[in-house]
Amino acid sequence: MTTLLLLLEVAFRNLFKSWVNLIIGGIIFFATFLVVTGGALLDSIDSSMSRSIVGSLAGHLQVYSDKSKDELSLFGGMSGEPDVAAIDSFTPIKQALEKHPNVQTVVPMGSNGALISSGNTVDLTLARLRDLYRKNADEGETPERRAQIDSLKAHVRRLGELLQADMQKRSALLREESQDPAEVEALERVRTDAFWADFDKEPFASLEFLENRLAPQAADGDLLYIRYVGTDLESFQKSFDRMQIVDGQPVPPGKRGMLLSKFFYEESLKLKTARRLDLLKEAHEGGRLIAEDPQLQRWVSENRTQTREIIFQLDPIKAQQATERLQRVLGSQEKELSKLLSTFLDVNDGNLAARYEQFYAQLVPLLDLYRIRLGDTLTITAFTRTGYVQNVNVPIYGTYQFNGLEKSPLAGSVNLMDLVSFRELYGYLTEDKRAEIAQLQAKSGLAEVKRENAEDALFGEEAPSTLVAEATPGLINENEQIQSEGAALRKEDLLKRVYSKREVEDGMVLSAALILKDPSKLESTLAELQQSPEVQDAKLRVVSWQKAVGLIGQFVLLMKMVLWGIIVILFVVVLAIINNAVMMATLQRVREVGTMRAIGAQRTFILSMILLETVVLGMVFGGAGAGLGSGLISYLGHVGIPAVSEELYFFFSGPRLLPFLSLGNFITAFLLVVGVSIFSTLYPAFLATRVSPVTAMQTDE
Amino acid sequence: MPMTVQPLLCAALAAVLLAAPTALALDAAEMKKLLEIIDDRQRNGGDYKSLAYLEQKEKDKADTVREALVYRRDADDKLMILFSKPKGEAGKGYLRLDKNLWSYDPNVGKWERRTERERIAGTDSRRADFDESRLAEEYEPTYEGEEALGKFKVHKLSLQARSGIDVAYPVIKLWVDTATSNILKRQEFALSGRLMRTLYYPKWQKLFSESKSAEVWYPQEIRIYDEVEKANSTVILIKSVDLRALEANIFTKAWLESKSR
Repeated sequence: MTTLLLLLEVAFRNLFKSWVNLIIGGIIFFATFLVVTGGALLDSIDSSMSRSIVGSLAGHLQVYSDKSKDELSLFGGMSGEPDVAAIDSFTPIKQALEKHPNVQTVVPMGSNGALISSGNTVDLTLARLRDLYRKNADEGETPERRAQIDSLKAHVRRLGELLQADMQKRSALLREESQDPAEVEALERVRTDAFWADFDKEPFASLEFLENRLAPQAADGDLLYIRYVGTDLESFQKSFDRMQIVDGQPVPPGKRGMLLSKFFYEESLKLKTARRLDLLKEAHEGGRLIAEDPQLQRWVSENRTQTREIIFQLDPIKAQQATERLQRVLGSQEKELSKLLSTFLDVNDGNLAARYEQFYAQLVPLLDLYRIRLGDTLTITAFTRTGYVQNVNVPIYGTYQFNGLEKSPLAGSVNLMDLVSFRELYGYLTEDKRAEIAQLQAKSGLAEVKRENAEDALFGEEAPSTLVAEATPGLINENEQIQSEGAALRKEDLLKRVYSKREVEDGMVLSAALILKDPSKLESTLAELQQSPEVQDAKLRVVSWQKAVGLIGQFVLLMKMVLWGIIVILFVVVLAIINNAVMMATLQRVREVGTMRAIGAQRTFILSMILLETVVLGMVFGGAGAGLGSGLISYLGHVGIPAVSEELYFFFSGPRLLPFLSLGNFITAFLLVVGVSIFSTLYPAFLATRVSPVTAMQTDE
Repeated sequence: MPMTVQPLLCAALAAVLLAAPTALALDAAEMKKLLEIIDDRQRNGGDYKSLAYLEQKEKDKADTVREALVYRRDADDKLMILFSKPKGEAGKGYLRLDKNLWSYDPNVGKWERRTERERIAGTDSRRADFDESRLAEEYEPTYEGEEALGKFKVHKLSLQARSGIDVAYPVIKLWVDTATSNILKRQEFALSGRLMRTLYYPKWQKLFSESKSAEVWYPQEIRIYDEVEKANSTVILIKSVDLRALEANIFTKAWLESKSR
């Protein structure tokens, strides 16, 4: 005991005596600090990301077909949607997986992407008008519908005037011959009272004239890509705790419908001017100034110049109201709405807050703020796996978000859809369809001609020498040809239909999410399921959530590898430096060691002395590094690290990361430091024990 | 030396003189005439209705097949394609009115305007493959020489789209049978010069038309090879043609909608 105390005293006395010790100490300090803080940060990201991903889409485990070409990637792969083979029916899979004692729920899933196409404003207005006339034709006219028709007609007439004004502006810049006379004539005709007076005589013919001649002259239609996950929405809402409805309502059980992601709804479907104003306000509140920030200036300039989107939406009455309201707000006498809008939207740091309020209070009530309103039906066009283009109408019930991932573009790109609509858009080839195709193909009598020898096969020596034949006139009756499924009737019924749980589950899925009762047993459950004969018979692949989300899941693992790579290199350097430094120190202390040995110190004493000195050095500086690291982490755990970019939102699982320190990190750091210190001192310490008193004395002389 | 040059010159001159009458190079007027013949033969004075079969092959996908009714009123530049089979596709269709190509799907009850480059029903075919031939009107030809295509002698023409005319491909090359003046092969290029599609027309048929008081010609089989996605190809087979007059209001959205009600 006394020896130990003595050795400790020596160790502490030598601690700050040499500059070499200070350098070694500094390096140890830095290495431990890095192990503690880096480890804690990565553990925190890992844990918050796992909470986000598990609780939003992936569940603890995912199961999908082993026949899949690609690996499952729930948030989309590098090149679009991964090629995952379809599982014919969900029911047997569910039954097999639920047998495992740790599986709580199995949720069916499938992800895909498609297009939403929308015509331009004129197209959309005319489509609404056509719908009303169709209803009139079917059900007879009502006063309410008449009022709607008149308002839409006035709107179209105004659009015609706006388009003509545009054309006049253009014609000042272009040569006469670049104008299409048919377009000019159509615009002239739409301006006449006679056209509108006769409109109702043949409404469908008048509509076709407008659709074919007027609408193509407006050019603001666009295509929008939409990603969606088809699932049993009822079961999904119960199983994924991070999902929360923001606006509207959940899709009623068993019905077709969609919940749009709030992020997608705001980002892609909102009136662009309004969205830019939202972003400006948010940035301004975050301390950014329009006067200094080029991006904010660009948004202001886009709002100022792109006023057509608003103007085209307004019918004459609303346009008049908007003009009056803007005149009042701006105290202006200007009569032209586009100029008023331009002035109004030219915001600066001083008036942004007031203009934002005014925009929402005065203008928004006159406008459609979103391209698709909740309660509307959205038409989605998918190019199916079987090659047939599939259009499906899906009602939009509301918007939702994954809590903590509100601003993440990755999580925000996922919209939720009922499984029945998903299956239709996927275009799964049923046995019936396959047979129908085979029959048509056989009936055609066509032989395949490969591209490589097409010319030879079609025109070579083997080919018939006459190319022309007399045909027999055919009598084609389309009514015999078309085996209509009563599509129009079906379309209405489909949206009202309630599908039973069995119908929802008894069909194709791409994957299934597993929620575990005890998530801490994830690894063992994964291994057990992978070995389970039922899973193997059904040719399924079982993966953890980390693998199921593709590249993102690997991100933390990659970061950990990088950190440990740095730590290993650092410690190898530390090892070499300590080794060298202690070696030098030992050589300097040959006399001291010799004297000690001469007055009776044992070799073990010398060995312990040198080892203990390094251990003390490691513990003091390592302790300080670990202490500072823990201090920093607990401070950050208190105030949080803000997610500065939207991508970080996903990794931080919310606006801030609150890192925490685990005992594991602390112990790892401690063991590493002590271990490396001892290891690197072993050889110099061993050399020191070899010093004989005689040699020591001689050296000194 | 002069002794050897002179016979060579004479031989060259003789070759040129002898070759000239056999070369069938077409001048501008002849080319225009040829295109007009091609167009005119396929045109009908009255209406035209055909039953077509379309088969699409794509890499790693099951074949898709369809049957469609194609309606034309050449005098008014109108075209309609109405799909009849398989059941899932029945009632879908395309309608060309003026410069608009509309697509309709009864499953959703919506009309959408499409471009000239629309892949008809997702196949490698385009609107022009079904429509009246308007080569002389839409393109300016240049002669590229006489070639052999298998056992047939053909004129090779290069066609450049006239300005202001919206066509799917601005440059096309045609291989026209010298004996029958039928197109046997067609290649279409993008503005960049990239080859997009190769088409073969191995079988032509003709049919007497009362309204035209002449024969109407049509390619019974069109084989289309996608030159961008090399594994993709489409075959169009015209199964029968009916030249009786169509209903007056047939080329309207309302008529196409009514077929799937």
